[in-house]
Amino acid sequence: MIRFDKVFLRYDTGISLRDLNFTIEKDEFVYLYGDSGSGKSSILKMIYMDMFPNSGTVDVLGADSSNIKRRDIARIRQRIGMVFQDFHLLSDRDIYSNIALPLELQGIKADVVRSKVTLKADELGIRSRLSHYPHELSAGEQQRVALARAIVNSPDILLADEPIAHLDEKAAAEVVKYIWKIHQSGTSVVYATHNEALLKKDPARAMTLVSGEVVKDRQL
Amino acid sequence: MKLSYIIREGIIGIKRSRMPFMISVFSVTIALLIVGLGVLAVDNSLQFIGEFQADYDLEIFLENEATAFQKTELAAIVKDYPGIFRMDYLSKEDAAALYNAEFGEDVLSLLDDNPLPSSFRITFEEDHRSADYIVTFIQNMNELDGVDEVIFKKDLFNRVQGVMQLVYTVATVTLFLIILSTVFLTANNLRLMILARYEFIETVRLLGASDFLVKAPFFLEGGILGFLGASLSVLLIILAEYCIKYYVHLDLPVKIIDHPEVILGLILFGVSLSSLGVLKAVRKMLRFVA
Repeated sequence: MIRFDKVFLRYDTGISLRDLNFTIEKDEFVYLYGDSGSGKSSILKMIYMDMFPNSGTVDVLGADSSNIKRRDIARIRQRIGMVFQDFHLLSDRDIYSNIALPLELQGIKADVVRSKVTLKADELGIRSRLSHYPHELSAGEQQRVALARAIVNSPDILLADEPIAHLDEKAAAEVVKYIWKIHQSGTSVVYATHNEALLKKDPARAMTLVSGEVVKDRQL
Repeated sequence: MKLSYIIREGIIGIKRSRMPFMISVFSVTIALLIVGLGVLAVDNSLQFIGEFQADYDLEIFLENEATAFQKTELAAIVKDYPGIFRMDYLSKEDAAALYNAEFGEDVLSLLDDNPLPSSFRITFEEDHRSADYIVTFIQNMNELDGVDEVIFKKDLFNRVQGVMQLVYTVATVTLFLIILSTVFLTANNLRLMILARYEFIETVRLLGASDFLVKAPFFLEGGILGFLGASLSVLLIILAEYCIKYYVHLDLPVKIIDHPEVILGLILFGVSLSSLGVLKAVRKMLRFVA
């Protein structure tokens, strides 16, 4: 599903990722663990083709980073859900419109959109918030909205970039619980975190990154 | 369904950024108002200057003794001469009627015989309307039998032609500069409007929107913006024409309302300026959004 083959990434300030070789299979849950600057976000960006390696190839859902066209990137992203630590919600739209956006971009009929959005909102406990705007919600609720938007079109892969970094303990635990629930329904998850406690608590594969290198790959 | 997304997003975009949208409409209105008034001012100036020029370029007077056959032959020669746009024959009777209309007296009641000669009034085509060409024409005409005199007010002709040429050149250069600056100003204003929507563009790209799907609603928004701006500028120009008529008591010979092609041109210019300006701004932004 995801394959990194001899991947090197250099920034102007120096090397970010060096000689990454790994594969993430379908239905896997993988933690990318490391301090900030270790290369976790760069790996996620390469998976959703926001960044490209200087050498080596990244293969995602059958698309090769070395020869992918811009319009194919859009297609790949329609099969990847993403959640970020700063939520990336559109502040001038209500919660319903935020969650519905990926479906509307795919040209799905309005009644189907409505039923899918309400279903996901129910699952994530934000049904009563659909007519509200992001600034009217708590950080935990906003992240649940971001999660609902990420999975509303049933993606093959869910990428989570420090999704609980700005949340209190209770909200963070809820979000992690939801992400695991999503995984159990058959979605592969790549979860970037600097929180070691998560790795200890949850039984999942964990790749530890130090200065752009995978120094440990804990397999289950 | 994607079409409904494009239309809905275009309209939502306008609603959500009402203020920048209104400012952009206003800037297009001002830009096209300047262009429209400029075109109108030039057309009217040329028209006013043109009024100093006679309805025809020169007049060939025929000898009183010229026979009907000679007149027919002369008419054929003049008509076939290269560069002749129009030729009107004025008989002795026509000349008398004109005299009567102009001076209010019947020439036949003053004199027993009609002394006014018959003539040909000649107008040249635009690209043959030069003093040198006309002088050569006069020389050729004077050699023909039956021609008495050819009257051509060369000085006045040259002066009017010179002034018209100057006005036309200055106006063309000025209008070109005005259009250029309005394009830059409007494009810059539209870029600022799009910059405020960075969050939306970045988010929809991350959610899997193709470049086309990102650009299309903005293109539509730009089109609506241009249409509104251009229509408003046309209405303001019409209002200005009415004000000139009723407050300055000057009836302009060239009015925009009489020229639907100019109205259509302004609206098309506004729509293309705005939609392409918006498209360019979005395209530029997409370079920074993966």
